[in-house]
Amino acid sequence: MTKKTVHIALITAVLASILVLPCHAEKAGIGWQEGIAARKGKAKTMAELASMYDSSSCIECHKETHDDWAKSIHARSIFSNGRTAATFRTAITNGLMEWPYSGVKGPGDVKVEHLMGCAKCHLPQLADAEDSVAREIVATIDAWQDALKNKNKAAAGEAAEKLKNLNINCLICHNRNAVIHKWTDGYPKAGEVYGSKEGKHDDDKFPVLKKSLIMSESIQCGQCHGLGPNLELDNPTQCCTSYGSYLWAYTAEGGRETCQDCHMKKSKLGHNMQSYRDGGMAKAAVDFKVESFGYHWRDVTTLSPKAVVKVSMTNRAGHSIPDG
Amino acid sequence: MPVPQQLARGDRMGRGPYEKSGMIEDTGLPPGKTVHERFEIPFPTADVKEGGKTVRKTLAHELEVEVQLWYLPYGNMNSDPFLWHESIQKVKISEKGN
Repeated sequence: MTKKTVHIALITAVLASILVLPCHAEKAGIGWQEGIAARKGKAKTMAELASMYDSSSCIECHKETHDDWAKSIHARSIFSNGRTAATFRTAITNGLMEWPYSGVKGPGDVKVEHLMGCAKCHLPQLADAEDSVAREIVATIDAWQDALKNKNKAAAGEAAEKLKNLNINCLICHNRNAVIHKWTDGYPKAGEVYGSKEGKHDDDKFPVLKKSLIMSESIQCGQCHGLGPNLELDNPTQCCTSYGSYLWAYTAEGGRETCQDCHMKKSKLGHNMQSYRDGGMAKAAVDFKVESFGYHWRDVTTLSPKAVVKVSMTNRAGHSIPDG
Repeated sequence: MPVPQQLARGDRMGRGPYEKSGMIEDTGLPPGKTVHERFEIPFPTADVKEGGKTVRKTLAHELEVEVQLWYLPYGNMNSDPFLWHESIQKVKISEKGN
């Protein structure tokens, strides 16, 4: 009886090793195990994922910055004004469900990997969640759309708020995505906040302040405001291409300003990073000149007067306008 | 606006981001460059008979020209259009002469 118990325990231990070892073995690099996601384990629900990157403790000291951020699209990155949430859904209906090899016949088949075409930028932390979270997001978008169809404002608002709880918040830019060259600079660790200097940080959950090497560089924004098709995906997608345009058409032509220079500093918008929806940004981005004159065009014996309108538009931004 | 090529092949535009992988053309404004557009607008006229001849009469000698620059995320005015710039100018032509 005792022997049998020991055998079962050994078998369990061996099985556990088999299950655990490949997970650790498949990821290269040193130090990633100290990151937020690695420490907490994959989120099983939308609420768990929101909690994993909960930035509410930042508000006490950085209220103004938080309030600025709350006005930005980053604060509702999978919802926006509803357009983004709707596009997530059409990506499933018109994309995944139509493609013969995606493995998606209905919303219940959706996995995290299926949503990463959108979530790579709109919710990069989805990579730190289980497939159940991907399905919960889809179900919530469906609930929002059904509520809109049924003119149930309360239910639509509730679903929209749930979607807005997952966003690009402080910890995504200042921790999770704060290091791009992780083998060079090290992996972001739980408890660290990346900013402009090294030192102590007055927050029990994030007591370490690390100097970021890229927080003021365009590549920080470029990791989402993209280069073009994401060819690393099994089914590549392309959404924002601003960083590609910035590199090849602006920097290559001598442009020297960064994303942060225009969208945060010159605009005085700070963490309320806006584009054309802000009047100041729209005005600064495009010089618009109109000249007009009239004359009598002579077609042999017949005079046909006409107005000539000449429009010149100069894009002063560091990327193509508009972006795809 | 970059016109995306469906799955980076052929001559069809992609539907959503999930189908975009290439580009057919970019109708937008490139950074640091000036794009010129020229428009001709005929003044209103009417062809009338005068002394056995057909003569073209100008019905108005002043036009108010309104130029608007729109960003159309979906390529039409029905879905979330955004008025970027506008300019209103008066264009006059002479009333005398032949």
